[in-house]
Amino acid sequence: MISFELTEEQRLAQTMAAQLARSTLRPAARDADEHLAIPPSILKEIWATGIVQSQAGAEATRSATLNAILLEELAVAGASFAIAAAAPIGFLSAIASQGSDAQKKALLPLFAGDSYQSAAVAIVEPDFAFDVSAIRTAAVKTTNGYRLSGIKGPVPLTRYCSHFLVVARFEDRLQAFIVERDAKGVIIGEKRPNIGLRALETATVTFDNVEVSIGVRLGEFAGCDVQWIVDSARTAFAAIMTGISRAVMEFVIPYTKERVVHGAALAQKQVIAFRLADMRIETDAMRWMTWKAAAILEKGGDATRQAQLACTYAREQAMWIVDEGVQMLGGHGYLRDNPVEMWYRDARTVSALEGVVGV
Amino acid sequence: MIDFELTAKDREIINLAREQGKIAQRYASYYDRHENELPPEQFPEAKNLPNPLDLAEHASDSSGARILHSLVMHEIYGGGIALHRSRWGLGNAVLNTVATPEQVEKWKNHTIAIAITEPGAGSDPANIRTTATFDRETDEWVLNGEKIFISQAESSDAAMVFSRFVDADGQRGMTTFLVEKGTPGFTVGPQLRKLGIRSHDTCNLLFENCRIPEFNHIKGNFKSTMTVFNDSRPMVGAMALGVARAALNFTREMLIQSGIQIDYRGGIRSRSAIADRFLKLEATFEAALLTVLRSKWLEQQDVPPKVEASIAKAAGGKAARKITQGCVELLGPEALAEDHPLDRCFRDGRIFDIYEGAGEIQRLIIARSILDYTSRDLR
Ligand SMILES: Cc1cc2nc3c(=O)[nH]c(=O)nc-3n(C[C@H](O)[C@H](O)[C@H](O)COP(=O)(O)OP(=O)(O)OC[C@H]3O[C@@H](n4cnc5c(N)ncnc54)[C@H](O)[C@@H]3O)c2cc1C
Repeated sequence: MISFELTEEQRLAQTMAAQLARSTLRPAARDADEHLAIPPSILKEIWATGIVQSQAGAEATRSATLNAILLEELAVAGASFAIAAAAPIGFLSAIASQGSDAQKKALLPLFAGDSYQSAAVAIVEPDFAFDVSAIRTAAVKTTNGYRLSGIKGPVPLTRYCSHFLVVARFEDRLQAFIVERDAKGVIIGEKRPNIGLRALETATVTFDNVEVSIGVRLGEFAGCDVQWIVDSARTAFAAIMTGISRAVMEFVIPYTKERVVHGAALAQKQVIAFRLADMRIETDAMRWMTWKAAAILEKGGDATRQAQLACTYAREQAMWIVDEGVQMLGGHGYLRDNPVEMWYRDARTVSALEGVVGV
Repeated sequence: MIDFELTAKDREIINLAREQGKIAQRYASYYDRHENELPPEQFPEAKNLPNPLDLAEHASDSSGARILHSLVMHEIYGGGIALHRSRWGLGNAVLNTVATPEQVEKWKNHTIAIAITEPGAGSDPANIRTTATFDRETDEWVLNGEKIFISQAESSDAAMVFSRFVDADGQRGMTTFLVEKGTPGFTVGPQLRKLGIRSHDTCNLLFENCRIPEFNHIKGNFKSTMTVFNDSRPMVGAMALGVARAALNFTREMLIQSGIQIDYRGGIRSRSAIADRFLKLEATFEAALLTVLRSKWLEQQDVPPKVEASIAKAAGGKAARKITQGCVELLGPEALAEDHPLDRCFRDGRIFDIYEGAGEIQRLIIARSILDYTSRDLR
């Protein structure tokens, strides 16, 4: 039954996330970008929301829709912060939905602790021709397990990662392998800052003939549906891009009302006012598309089409919105004193990724 | 709980509307080529088929009457013409919203067109020049003016005419009058020659010393009269997207026949430019349709949507333009042929961002709302 109704619990969680975003996260966003790291105190706050841990709980407590709602709120404060939550969510939700019983039992409880920790869904590869349909990292069967080789990246927050979920080509299809960070042959590269999402300390991770045991293939003998992981990631990215778009919109509305040019408020010029209206239209549309993809995932349906459409749409619209956001501030928008240039960089970076996150 | 799955009942009624849409397609192209002929009230096939709009209104276990109604309308517009002609015009909505019980009783079975637009007043109804002057001697109103582009002009029984007035005491203002067909001084012009939606009945109206009894004075205030558009705007979005979807479906079929697959799994470096363009059009469709559902859902929650109604109208209108234009381009020269369904979609699809408040007007409404501006601050 078509409904946009949030449950009481969802509404509460949303308010809480919005509060945290406003009071604590947003004020920390610029510094995190400049200093190329999210301060531990902020990671602690994100962890304290319980959003990550709830993925590890019983089936009933995991909700892709709620995750999408919360990721949007966090992303209003900063896309890096949202990804700091969405990365372990991506990993845990993949384990919870695709893992074998043994894998769930072994891994999920590891994320019930009190301090921030992460694990990364490693799909993207540092290659200009990269596409999820053309992954080069490969796994081969050995007598006791598998041997993995390839390079992944950018991978966020590697120093907090206990595991990587490595998506690799295996016997003509894509499969995912749970690799411990300390496994022999896992080489974490130098941190390499990107245009945006600079606080995420991204690095490449090389898997140099890493030997792993038979039990680490996600879903074990049954294998897994890598497309599900991709769909979940696209849905999370769509939520995050909705959040970035909202941040821009909520920033430029008061700004353009106050800024006077040629005798009138900027916002009173139609060319500006109409773009603001379009920002609202597109931000709404992005959110509903995200929710729809998430709702399908939550019900266990095939969300591939919906997630693709939501992500494709959000990429285009979010980029348009951040671009117009910079333009509306003119020279002030180009300076690092205002956040729009950061959102401009973040949006382009988010929209280039696959994997990494999840709902 | 957030959910986007149709109920079994929704699907049943929507499928019925879709099947009827397929039958209607044949008639749609006939009336597209014979724009001076009015489609009959009911096509022969419709006699034995239920009207899905009525079913939508009364279905239990649906996603709600407003939502289902808009999705059925969406299907009907996908077919190009309604198998069951609508008995109601927007004038009926005005009657039901603001008229007295006696007035509603008298005209409740009439088809009532809405007549606002004039040569000098389209987007800005404040410029209306049509005027009714009260004649003390006969207790009648004398109406003079011209209305243009009026839907259901020929097929309706009456028109709800937006007009200025000068009353017995010389007071002036804006109001509405219900003018019945056959009233002396009220003439309906010939069918207008349009780009598309040629099966739609659209003419100009002329009022020359047209005498109207006081009983026909529908005295709603202008503001509450305009609230009927809260319902109709997202509906126009749904209609626009019906045409857009017909274009998308046809295009997808032709692309697949020509060996171009639309794959939702890969990323942008895995697909052809054509597939990528198609996918973006499809995303535009989804985006707009969800804004329509959002607005309709709010209506069902008894939260009168305002900005959401305009969002749905603006998104639907723009999507129909982009999608129908894009589909013709994607399919290339072969798509230009007039006997293709795309030809009609391309022409029909252009109206929705113009009537019932053009896209710019919807953006004014949205911008005023988010900026907390009055119509003085932003016009
Ligand atoms: C097929 C059809 C059916 C119709 N049916 C009906 C009907 O049943 N009843 C009825 O009353 N009318 C009807 N109309 C009229 C329709 O509602 C008007 O055409 C529409 O409101 C636009 O008015 P206009 O044509 O005078 O254009 P204008 O008002 O002249 O507008 C021209 C352009 O300027 C833009 N514009 C206008 N004001 C502003 C502004 N303040 N800021 C920025 N841009 C602005 C508009 O968006 C538009 O793009 C119908 C029209 C058509 C084509």
